Amino acid sequence: MEQKSRPAISASPGSATVDLSVEIAGLVLRNPVMTASGTFASGREFAGFVDLSRLGALVTKGVSSDPWSGNESPRIAETSSGMLNSIGLQNPGVEAFCERDLAWLAGQDVPVVVNVSGHTVADYAAVVERLERERGVAAYEVNISCPNLDAGGMAFGTACAPAAEVTRAVRAVTKRPVIVKLSPNVTDIAEIARAVEAAGADAVSLINTLLGMAIDARTRRPKLARTVGGLSGPAIKPVALRMVWQVAGAVSIPVIGCGGIMTGEDAVEFLLAGASAVQVGTANFVDPGATVHVIDGIVEYCRISGISSARELIGALDT
Amino acid sequence: MTCTAAGHDTHPLLERVEVVRNDRVAEGVGLLVLRAPRIAATVQPGQFVHVRIAADADFILRRPFSVHRASAGAVEILYQVLGRGTRELSMRAAGDVMDAIGPLGSGWRVPEGTVHALLVAGGLGAAPLGMLAEVLAARGVAVSVAQGAPTAERLVARDLFESVARRVEVATDDGSAGERGFVTVVSERLLAADRPDMVFVCGPEAMARAVAAQAAAAGVACQVSLERLMACGIGACLSCVVTTTSGRKRACVDGPVFDAGEVCWDGTEVPPRH
Ligand SMILES: Cc1cc2nc3c(=O)[nH]c(=O)nc-3n(C[C@H](O)[C@H](O)[C@H](O)COP(=O)(O)OP(=O)(O)OC[C@H]3O[C@@H](n4cnc5c(N)ncnc54)[C@H](O)[C@@H]3O)c2cc1C
Ligand SMILES: Cc1cc2nc3c(=O)[nH]c(=O)nc-3n(C[C@H](O)[C@H](O)[C@H](O)COP(=O)(O)O)c2cc1C
Ligand code: FES
Repeated sequence: MEQKSRPAISASPGSATVDLSVEIAGLVLRNPVMTASGTFASGREFAGFVDLSRLGALVTKGVSSDPWSGNESPRIAETSSGMLNSIGLQNPGVEAFCERDLAWLAGQDVPVVVNVSGHTVADYAAVVERLERERGVAAYEVNISCPNLDAGGMAFGTACAPAAEVTRAVRAVTKRPVIVKLSPNVTDIAEIARAVEAAGADAVSLINTLLGMAIDARTRRPKLARTVGGLSGPAIKPVALRMVWQVAGAVSIPVIGCGGIMTGEDAVEFLLAGASAVQVGTANFVDPGATVHVIDGIVEYCRISGISSARELIGALDT
Repeated sequence: MTCTAAGHDTHPLLERVEVVRNDRVAEGVGLLVLRAPRIAATVQPGQFVHVRIAADADFILRRPFSVHRASAGAVEILYQVLGRGTRELSMRAAGDVMDAIGPLGSGWRVPEGTVHALLVAGGLGAAPLGMLAEVLAARGVAVSVAQGAPTAERLVARDLFESVARRVEVATDDGSAGERGFVTVVSERLLAADRPDMVFVCGPEAMARAVAAQAAAAGVACQVSLERLMACGIGACLSCVVTTTSGRKRACVDGPVFDAGEVCWDGTEVPPRH
């Protein structure tokens, strides 16, 4: 591991310093790079590979009010330049999360964003209410890609009304920043983004995984036990960029971009498209040090382009 | 008291590894020797490495492989060529560089006072049992091996087993060596004849399950090494869960070696090996 704590200003050797700090919903992050939910657990597994204090923020695995056991195996399938997963939001529930994960995270020098899942609107609110009693939560990220059991299992995030309803319910029980994580499996993502903004979201993050499927022609069976799953990795980057660009043009709250980011240059592309910060997901499986390599890559890009603050890149797309 | 086979804990690390040798040892099977001093220094029998075979290919995930043997500075991997990753791996030559995360997982546990061990290997299941056989023999534990494969040629690591075990009995699908048929016939016989106090199994899941049932019937403790599809390999993604009597566990950190008695065999599957 490298040195423990770093200031907001990252120095690159032998050159002018680059200011990487960004602000999201009142939170000042030392750099725009966060982990993507579900790909970094609560960070413990990565602590031997990454100095967690270098991260802009750590987004936890989705947490629900009760323990969820997740889906049957096989839960993943590799695809061209990506992977499908149907983990099913397996998690030990908010109580165990507070005891095991938040307690450990309290000793780490990194802002913690807790990703929240639920099957009903009340579920989401219950998780946040429980977490309100804990210190060490910098913000919430509300995953509205979960199936809504009150509406036949259709995801909350696929229509404006349920997406707004979840947002309002969470907003009502916390003053901490609320980030709503949007599903890409919709016709018009900008419309959903506007709906959650109106309902009180402080920021939006996107994209969650794209619904997909893989088949083994030899056995004529789906590769995932659940048949369908979420596609992530470099394969989805063009879709994610397009959606980030559309949403950034549609709302006035900050946008956090995610989807297939493997390098610093990928991250810069998201900033140019209008994101104020980014999340790194599947790349962590390929390279456990991916987050730090992305941060270093952004610094490198800024240095080569003679840019002194990463904030100059946000929305700076030349069209 | 129970401990890992060599008695201490290990922490995974990311290491740049260099191919020392990559030899074909049987039809579709290779033996890869990697210079990996840091991983080799702490690896325990039954642990694995998670290898990034190609950094520029359109398949992005790492591939998990058991450490077959470890020596000063190097680890050996026995691999079967199955798909894109292992095909690519078979083309690596001396001097090529990759990166590997390891040592990973919790390996075979050898209880204090183990006197006689039975190792049961099906196909490439011989891979994680190689280093175990050597460590057991070095500790003075008597080792018997029941080994099965499709053909005599594919009885991989047979020389290693012959050199450290009291006896090695084999079965092949085509009868080209030993018994014709499944290794379970051999394991059943050795369980009765040798009265081992621990059975270590790795192979196709149906075979591992059958051997576990034989051991249970004989009242002998049994450990199985299980395969699951793995993304991260370090316990973060929950891709690799095994259903156990105490809930879902992660094969990459809580396993790949499990006590056979805790495994709920139904409801989980990996792609067939052959
Ligand atoms: C802990 C552990 C130890 C292993 N040890 C060995 C070993 O010593 N020798 C050996 O030959 N094989 C071993 N395997 C299996 C080996 O990982 C797969 O055969 C290999 O990943 C196949 O990759 P591929 O690209 O050739 O196949 P593809 O089918 O193209 O792979 C597609 C995806 O499925 C995964 N996959 C396919 N088959 C398996 C499988 N049986 N188990 C896990 N993942 C699979 C791949 O990793 C990849 O993500 C082990 C697996 C695990 C989990
Ligand atoms: C294995 C896995 C688990 C995930 N779990 C969650 C989760 O619990 N909550 C959530 O909001 N998103 C989850 N995601 C989605 C990611 O956070 C991210 O939005 C998506 O993978 C796209 O980014 P990427 O291409 O960088 O991985 C998960 C993704 C993967 C691959
Ligand atoms: S492979 Fe990620 S948790 Fe086991």
